[in-house]
Amino acid sequence: MDVTLLKVTAVLYLLASTSFIVYIFLVRDFVSRLSPIILFAGFAVHTAALGIHFLQTGYPGVAQFREALSFYAWLLVAGYLLIQLKYRLSILGAIIAPLVFLMTLAAFAFGTGAGELPPGLKTYWLPVHVTLAFLGNAVFALAFGVSLMYLLQESYLKRKKRASVMQRFPSLEALDKLNYVLLVWGFPLMTLGILTGSMWAGIQWGNYWSWEPRQISSGIAWLFYGVILHGRITAGLRGKKAALLTMVGFVVVIGYFLLGDSIFPSRHGGRFE
Amino acid sequence: MNHRSAPIEVRESVAFETSYVREALGRLRTYPSIQESVILSTCNRVEVVAAALNGVSASEEIKAFLAEQRARKNRHSLDDHVYIHHGPEAVRHLFRVAASLDSMVVGEPQILGQLKEYYNAAHAAGTVGTILHRLFHRSFSVAKRVRNETAIASRAVSVSSVAVDLAKRIFDRLDDKTVMLIGAGKMGDLLARHLQRSGVQSLMVTNRTFERAVELAGRIHGSPILFEDFPRYLTLADLVIGCTGSPEILVDAGTVDKVLRERKQKAMFLIDIGDRRNFDPAINEIDNVYLYNIDDLKGVAEENLQERSNEAEKAEGIVQEEVLNFTRWIDSLEQVPTITALRQRLEEIRQRELERSLGGSLRDLSEKQREALEDMTTAMINKILHAPMSHLKLNSKDEDEKTLYIAALKKLFDLER
Repeated sequence: MDVTLLKVTAVLYLLASTSFIVYIFLVRDFVSRLSPIILFAGFAVHTAALGIHFLQTGYPGVAQFREALSFYAWLLVAGYLLIQLKYRLSILGAIIAPLVFLMTLAAFAFGTGAGELPPGLKTYWLPVHVTLAFLGNAVFALAFGVSLMYLLQESYLKRKKRASVMQRFPSLEALDKLNYVLLVWGFPLMTLGILTGSMWAGIQWGNYWSWEPRQISSGIAWLFYGVILHGRITAGLRGKKAALLTMVGFVVVIGYFLLGDSIFPSRHGGRFE
Repeated sequence: MNHRSAPIEVRESVAFETSYVREALGRLRTYPSIQESVILSTCNRVEVVAAALNGVSASEEIKAFLAEQRARKNRHSLDDHVYIHHGPEAVRHLFRVAASLDSMVVGEPQILGQLKEYYNAAHAAGTVGTILHRLFHRSFSVAKRVRNETAIASRAVSVSSVAVDLAKRIFDRLDDKTVMLIGAGKMGDLLARHLQRSGVQSLMVTNRTFERAVELAGRIHGSPILFEDFPRYLTLADLVIGCTGSPEILVDAGTVDKVLRERKQKAMFLIDIGDRRNFDPAINEIDNVYLYNIDDLKGVAEENLQERSNEAEKAEGIVQEEVLNFTRWIDSLEQVPTITALRQRLEEIRQRELERSLGGSLRDLSEKQREALEDMTTAMINKILHAPMSHLKLNSKDEDEKTLYIAALKKLFDLER
């Protein structure tokens, strides 16, 4: 992976973060327009870095944890930029941009050498499965951010406090709707991620479901999000409760993503054999 | 008293229902010192404006009058919550109220309309004379000047627009929302119109008197519903405005909880802006429901108030100028200096005689007896003055008679030494 490009990416993400945060304290229209542009520039460089890696190796850079982290950050930015295009949620950028900056920074902490893909992973299942699973995860990360915004706005309204920052938050209804849209997108992506993973496992290991820790945790998170989605569609689950549950669901998912393998070593994530 | 000096509970306890104002004015007239009076009673303030030659005793009488009004409901001291202004300060206060400088949300134009309404009520009740007539008309034009010469009104955030702002933070769009207006209070009417301007299309109106609901609904293009039925319609309402004079709580937390389940937890915004609290404060504890009462809106409004302090300063300048003009006019009224001089003369005599007696033949009196003597002599002077003051009524129409009396007083009491 091209280290220089990644460094440029990190710097651009840092600039974007600063710009988004400045926007919170200083309502200036040009800041609000500038921030997504800087973030997009970072995204473009990031894409180039990932693209070069792909061309050189023929596989997406997900063999190592740091590569996975970088890829995940890239998906997150892509998701945010799409939302920004439609909803103009600069405030969400103030949550997402610092997050992706930290992720790219963390990626450097795990060394910079290109990872050698274990032979067992050299299959087309890898990009399909990882991309779907990560994409679903990234959408839930965005839902997490949106839920956090909802809870902030909600608590200000309940406590009858007035902060000028809150004036720039979208309405509760808009945040709740967006949260729902993200859930509607995230859930099928996650489902596909699990399905492709399972099929791949079936082909590779001869067993579709082996009660592996990663499979169990994904299953739990999948059920959890399924319940939220079901509740939203049929039982009028919305607002604060829905936001809280969405956040809890993501903590489960990301917690496992970050720590799972070190607590429960498994064949997943390239550690097998 | 106003929204700053007294909490809503206290204001509630002395508020005058519109239907009762006439009677109250009549009662106020029976107090000896008060010659002219106007009562103003809105969501945010209860004020008695009176013209009197003896300001001190008049203010005592007004306090007694308010206490009597309050006694019908609750008895506790009002002293902590009442403010009293005399002379130029009183004029300044009224001008500031009219110009909406004393409002909860500075620049809110509504108070002027209310002031005119209550002035007209007093006029109809016959308690307005030369002084208050001029004072109130001056206050109306001060309000106009302030509105025209400062940016305070054009940029002002009223209670309604604070509420609309909040609605926009809860709801993404207002054009698909339904508003229910309970009660035909002025504020509610105003807020409903404001919401319509912001896109609301569906509006239900209810009132204890159905005819008023129909009438109001006709004016603001809503659909009237029977008062008994409104709880059943709550499920449809995204925004509920309570603006009735009803002393009891109309919507309690249990009802809202049930309604919310029927609505599948779709958010509701309840705005309580009546003279009394119409909605149970516990409603705000329920998820997906937001309850704001008039005092909460004040909290939001006060910040806007500060943002507009520059404009307000300009307005205060205008008020100050007008106060000077008005006091100059008052001083030009012949009765005022004459009565003041007469009162001074009698007071001098009283003091002198008291001193002499207490230092002489009454030397041995106890503290209590001395006090009694003080009270007695003061009362005597007030009684003596009462008749001439009544004849010199400020609103006396007969100019010749007035001139004659004033000349006679001056001569008889040697006031022009």
